[in-house]
Amino acid sequence: MSFLWHELRLAVPMIVHGNPYLLSIIWFTVQVAGIATAAATAIGLPIGVALGLGRFRGRRVLIWLANAGLALPPVLVGLILFLLFVPQGPLGGLRLELTRQGVFVAQAVLALPFVAALSAAAIMGLPAGLLAQARAFGAGPVALAALAVREARIGVIAAVIAALATTLSEVGAILIVGGNVYGYDQTLASAALYEVDAASFADALAIGIVLVALIVVLLGGLSLLQERGGGIRWRFRPLS
Amino acid sequence: MAAGVGQLLLSCEGACVRRDGRLVVDGVDLELRRGEVVALLGPNGAGKSTLLDALVGGVAVGGGSVRRLGRVAIALQSPELARRSVLANVELALGWWGVRRSERRARALEALRLFGVDGLAARSAVGLSGGERRRVHLARALAVRPDVLLLDEPFAGLDAEARTALLQDSVAMLRSPGRATLVVVHDRAEAFALADRLVVMIAGRVVAGGPPRELLAAPPDLEVARFLGYDGELFGADGRLLLTRSANVILDPGGPLAARVARVVPLEDGVRLELEVSGDGWSGRVFAVSPLPAPGPGDEVRLRTENGVFLP
Repeated sequence: MSFLWHELRLAVPMIVHGNPYLLSIIWFTVQVAGIATAAATAIGLPIGVALGLGRFRGRRVLIWLANAGLALPPVLVGLILFLLFVPQGPLGGLRLELTRQGVFVAQAVLALPFVAALSAAAIMGLPAGLLAQARAFGAGPVALAALAVREARIGVIAAVIAALATTLSEVGAILIVGGNVYGYDQTLASAALYEVDAASFADALAIGIVLVALIVVLLGGLSLLQERGGGIRWRFRPLS
Repeated sequence: MAAGVGQLLLSCEGACVRRDGRLVVDGVDLELRRGEVVALLGPNGAGKSTLLDALVGGVAVGGGSVRRLGRVAIALQSPELARRSVLANVELALGWWGVRRSERRARALEALRLFGVDGLAARSAVGLSGGERRRVHLARALAVRPDVLLLDEPFAGLDAEARTALLQDSVAMLRSPGRATLVVVHDRAEAFALADRLVVMIAGRVVAGGPPRELLAAPPDLEVARFLGYDGELFGADGRLLLTRSANVILDPGGPLAARVARVVPLEDGVRLELEVSGDGWSGRVFAVSPLPAPGPGDEVRLRTENGVFLP
């Protein structure tokens, strides 16, 4: 206990005094979380809508695959992406291995199934009559998708929260694709691991505390949005 | 009379629909003309909702044809509304239907006013009662002003009071010289209140059709008669079968038929009697409604029948 207390006392000044190294990895973590979650949402939400609303052959298999994607091992994803990105790989021309861009891609790939599978589940949980009635009134595919996402927004926001949480705390794919290069493409989670490996426990603890604070702030904000999304008063529009 | 009244707006000939390999709609012929209200009546599982689905184009007919000569709207059985204000729900439907944005507000408010729910326009649809939800659902269907309006059990799931109130309002609201309306109902009283014409559907087939009074006075067969409420059967010594509804059986001390009271079921304003008739050339079981004081179980009574239906 005294060792933990000792390391904690060393960690706090690092946080309070705004260590430049710490600030740089906070900023990169926010970038990774933001870009990867945005990309995963931009790609995953239409997939989720298609899976939730669609009536096409193979839909069940795709839903099963999306759900299986929730348990995708980050190390395996990282390995496959690394093998794709190396100069000899099929995507070697993109020169993404050991780069920040490679980290963005890896985290987006890991977050994608969360958005797709969970938003599909949220949409499938909508009352069938609601969508059938919209179809009967002539709602086209875009209008139907807009209605579905709006009505399932609590579940859709939960999907984005899950995706964001993954991008914030995952390390396996970052280590392999980005290389966890000191001060270059480290996120808070991968930097904490780096410091543990270097036996700099106080630094690792400081990074960990900041990571938890960041998670609380970002996910708390989304949770608030989700809570308000379930409410009713704020959506009223004036009559005139 | 409005122009076009009586004009054919929708017809189906020999329409067949299969669901999960089962023939749910079996060779249905039906015509809907501008200005009329038609009630589609049938027991659960008769294929009524599937037929409506086929008429609106939601499901393809596997045989026969459906011809739509106007725009068809349907209000499905389940009155699901989006988590928005009542007004926004109606406007949303108008948008899907293709109504110009500038016209939506006025049309939505007008339809809500017709069903007496314009006061709820700003309220969230989430907190509506069952009756209010039904009214908004119907207002939405009327607001789009279709040529043909199909309503799938618009009074389902309502308590008696809300049902009666909505039915009373709907009698006038559903009738329009510019529109044909087909309404699926379970209750014969609703059908009689709403419709110019009844269509009876049993086991996927249309088995009878016509003006309500005419159909009630002369059901084509036993199955339809039973469905229309003829629950009493008297077998004559001459081989004839007399079918009665409780309204056709009158307790009368001077009546020609003798009966014994088999069962008494209390009603709000009297009792419903189950009567076993035997002798005088007739035997069987009929039902009658009697005011209080009424005979009790085992009592001997005399009765007469009026306007029963004879089947050979």
